[in-house]
Amino acid sequence: MVRIKNRYIAVQIVPYTPTNTLRINDHTLSKCLLQNVEKYHGVYGLGLIENGFRVKYCNDRTKTAIIRCLHRGQKFISSVLPLITLIGDVRAKFRTLYIGATIIQCNKFIIKHQKQFLDKAMGQMASAKERQDLFKRVMEFDMDR
Amino acid sequence: MLEDHFCASLAALVARGQLKTENKSEMEQTNPFYDFSIIYNKDDKVMRALLNELVELGYKTIAIEQSFDHSKKEPGKRGSEMFPEPHKIEHLRKEFQGKLRILQRLTILYVDVNVSHAMSVSLNLRKFNLIAGQPKTDAALTHCCTTFNGDLVTFDPVAGSRLLVNRKAYQIAVRRGMFFEIKYAPAIADSNNRKDMIKIAQNYCTKGKSKNIIFSSGAVHEFQLRGPYDVANLAFIFGLSEDQGKNAVDRNCRQLFLKAESRRLGKTIMFVRGNGPIVFSDSSEAEDDHEMEDLQTELNETSENNQPNKRLKVH
Repeated sequence: MVRIKNRYIAVQIVPYTPTNTLRINDHTLSKCLLQNVEKYHGVYGLGLIENGFRVKYCNDRTKTAIIRCLHRGQKFISSVLPLITLIGDVRAKFRTLYIGATIIQCNKFIIKHQKQFLDKAMGQMASAKERQDLFKRVMEFDMDR
Repeated sequence: MLEDHFCASLAALVARGQLKTENKSEMEQTNPFYDFSIIYNKDDKVMRALLNELVELGYKTIAIEQSFDHSKKEPGKRGSEMFPEPHKIEHLRKEFQGKLRILQRLTILYVDVNVSHAMSVSLNLRKFNLIAGQPKTDAALTHCCTTFNGDLVTFDPVAGSRLLVNRKAYQIAVRRGMFFEIKYAPAIADSNNRKDMIKIAQNYCTKGKSKNIIFSSGAVHEFQLRGPYDVANLAFIFGLSEDQGKNAVDRNCRQLFLKAESRRLGKTIMFVRGNGPIVFSDSSEAEDDHEMEDLQTELNETSENNQPNKRLKVH
């Protein structure tokens, strides 16, 4: 029995001008990544990573995302990430937060990271209603993509 | 004689509880990660934004870069000071105390070997933590690798210099403990520069297995900065292995820093620094500084005072 090894890369998207929300969904993100891999590593790189590549999670509130790729093609993605300056039509850069072998570990890390984000953001909110709203939006997880 | 005198004054100071001795491995504490090329900007606002971003990304030790074109100076002024004073960044240092360690670095652009004479007589050079050489011709590059009295060899990323280091010079430079710099910010901004940087980096790989390489940013805007792990990942493109990539932002930089310190101070075994007496009242920082100054003058005085005493004892 051969196990398929995946790598999960947790990234943060840092826009050029600080904004609260980004209009980025997982589709635009994966398109942008694949385009850039083709730009820097050519057709060979694209062919290597295309199988098994998927954006598993993308939260535009906290600007974090999880990218899944095969263990073999991981280098091709992680080396392209720092060179990207344009995601969709937004000027932004990537910041690698964590690279894990299982999505659970990645999840744990992201939750920890989001809790830190909440601590920071909560102080700026005025009403309790807004606070609850924010909490809901930040901590929402739907991984079944 | 001199050693005796040093030990005696040291012992006296330690006995008075004013000194903390550190051994060399702890001397001049620096923490990973390192970014040895942040280009200086006159505007404090830009500088602050850059430094804040660096803190956010997890850098702990950085160097602010200042360039100096040696070839443009007229040769008439000989023997006098050629190199500029370092910029005044004390207020930034104070602001980021505890978060960032800010060093200063001078990059010397040069064409001919006359620069080494100017460097040997210069006093201003001692005020910089790091000295980098940026050769413009092939002869200068060979000189830079073999006899240049600096710590770092760098390349002009924008003009796309067509210089490639040859194997022998590279090996000698590695043996001398020189480091080679690869800047990533220009590579992010423009595809032509990217090609040049990849060419230079891959050249190191073919000529000598990419030894003694450090990555630094060379950023002028905070958007061009990347996190240390992202930079380490760039190693794949630049032909370095994973380990070498990680070391290029971490261990190699520490080595470079220690080498630069030893060039500045001469042979050093022990590093002694006054820690100041303990103050119980809630004194502000300004007062602390005065105390440090007082202590330093006191130090000087005691060492001067001790000399005659010691002589008396010996004779």
